[in-house]
Amino acid sequence: MILSKYPFLVQKEIFHNMKYSELFMLSFVSKNMKKLIKLSQEKRFKSIGSVRYDYDGADEIRVHVYYGDVKEMITKTEKHNEAKSVRKSFQLNVSGKMIDFRFLRPRSRYVHPIASYQQPSEKETAIQSIHNYLFDFYGDSVEYNWLTTASEWLGRSSIPTLPQIQNLSFCVDINLFPETNYAEMERLENFFSSSPVLKSVRMVAVTNQSFPSKSKLYQAESVEIRQEEIIDTCILRDFQGRQAFLRCGEVSTSVLVEFLNRWKSGEAFKKLEYLKVIMDPISPGDRIFNGIVLSYIDATKQPPIHTLPKVFNWQYYTKSNTDPITSHTYVVREADNRVASILVQEKAFSFGVWNKTEEEFLKMVE
Amino acid sequence: MSSTEQGTSSAAPAEPTTAPESAAAPEVPESFYYVHGKDKVVHKVSAGALQHSALIHGMISNLGYTEEQAKANPFPFENIDGDILQMVVDWCNQHKGKPTPPEDTNLPKQKEKLFDLVLAVNYLEIKELLTYCCKQVAMMVKGKSPEEIREIWMIPTDAEDEAAEKEAKKRAGKEAAGETAAAAGDAK
Repeated sequence: MILSKYPFLVQKEIFHNMKYSELFMLSFVSKNMKKLIKLSQEKRFKSIGSVRYDYDGADEIRVHVYYGDVKEMITKTEKHNEAKSVRKSFQLNVSGKMIDFRFLRPRSRYVHPIASYQQPSEKETAIQSIHNYLFDFYGDSVEYNWLTTASEWLGRSSIPTLPQIQNLSFCVDINLFPETNYAEMERLENFFSSSPVLKSVRMVAVTNQSFPSKSKLYQAESVEIRQEEIIDTCILRDFQGRQAFLRCGEVSTSVLVEFLNRWKSGEAFKKLEYLKVIMDPISPGDRIFNGIVLSYIDATKQPPIHTLPKVFNWQYYTKSNTDPITSHTYVVREADNRVASILVQEKAFSFGVWNKTEEEFLKMVE
Repeated sequence: MSSTEQGTSSAAPAEPTTAPESAAAPEVPESFYYVHGKDKVVHKVSAGALQHSALIHGMISNLGYTEEQAKANPFPFENIDGDILQMVVDWCNQHKGKPTPPEDTNLPKQKEKLFDLVLAVNYLEIKELLTYCCKQVAMMVKGKSPEEIREIWMIPTDAEDEAAEKEAKKRAGKEAAGETAAAAGDAK
């Protein structure tokens, strides 16, 4: 069967029926084949939401492509294990580096190639080569995210560093348990300080330990924190990122007031776009707002709805938006006249910053 | 409007509208067309089955053949082997007027037959069958290494592609030189 004798539309249909892992393998057959795949699957590749590298903190990195509400594995890397080598391996030149690949289960429905490396030191170069290859293959319109879970490391002798790879964003999932001690917190803090600025941090903290106020954790673009007891107020004081989603037992009114005052004055939270704090029933809004100059939209008018695409979505494969804020109450930042809508509900405090001045904002009011 | 409908309506003048509305409409007799491949073996196929092929459906829609005319003028598909055309005709008959299932397991397993079937189906513009065939072709390389894929689909290596490209350039150069020389000769 000579594939090249098929018309382009037939080749396109054949490729369309191939999984991403199969197209990945096909692309290594020749330079012309790689070009043909890119050309014929342009529309399909544009529909990719993201490529994720799921790192277990030890040896294995799974590379998935996410599109719509589907995730599909392209490949995974793992330390070479002779016992698992049931099929003959083959070498591929991946962005200039020769990497051993093999297939694990010949008759499985979930066939994907496995890249293996001999020494732990080769892991980073292997994944870097694979990432460079995929970046060229799918293009720069796709998001490339590296996900890792920090709880896996607790109690281990070393915390792995994140790879120094370009065009890649890093997201970390942390679980802090009651037994998480000061030494482990320090190790995690060292991990943050040695890492690039993170795209997203998700943290479940069942501990009374907290990170120092200067922690690089607070520079993350987005944080999702769940804490059973009193929230680590450092997040509401020191967060420098764009979006924060907090869930906790209790937040003192004074912390929220301080937060609003510091935002209004332009002293802090300059990049903040969205904050939502879900907590136990809070004080009535008028008490929270004591001493804060608030502005109001005419009660007879419909306020504009604030919502934004989430920087990163931990729950779903698809992109999602922040919960909409519809509120007549807003504050204005003194320095640049930017507006933020405020909504206080029984169990939630929502704060959404508009990329508009007060004048522009009021023009949107119906 | 298809040729069948045209033929029927021109042959039978409209009935007066006195019949009770509840009475079932008389069944329109199915019309048939004829096709043959490289082996000249003629296959009789109903217009309903041929609707799967956008190419043939377009042809018969414009022709307005009667049964006799259709019989006398089978559609020649000289580029399609007889056994492949038989497969296509069988598939069209099996799926006449039915929704096509998500998968078709009756496609040929032999590589060469499947290859010819894909070309025929693409030429005849039978969309659903083409999709099944392409899925089957795609399945061939599941779990295969690049070298295995190259063997199955006979994909040239980079070196072979480069050599072919050089050869094509050389040939184009020669042809261009030949044309220039011929034009100069004509001018003289």
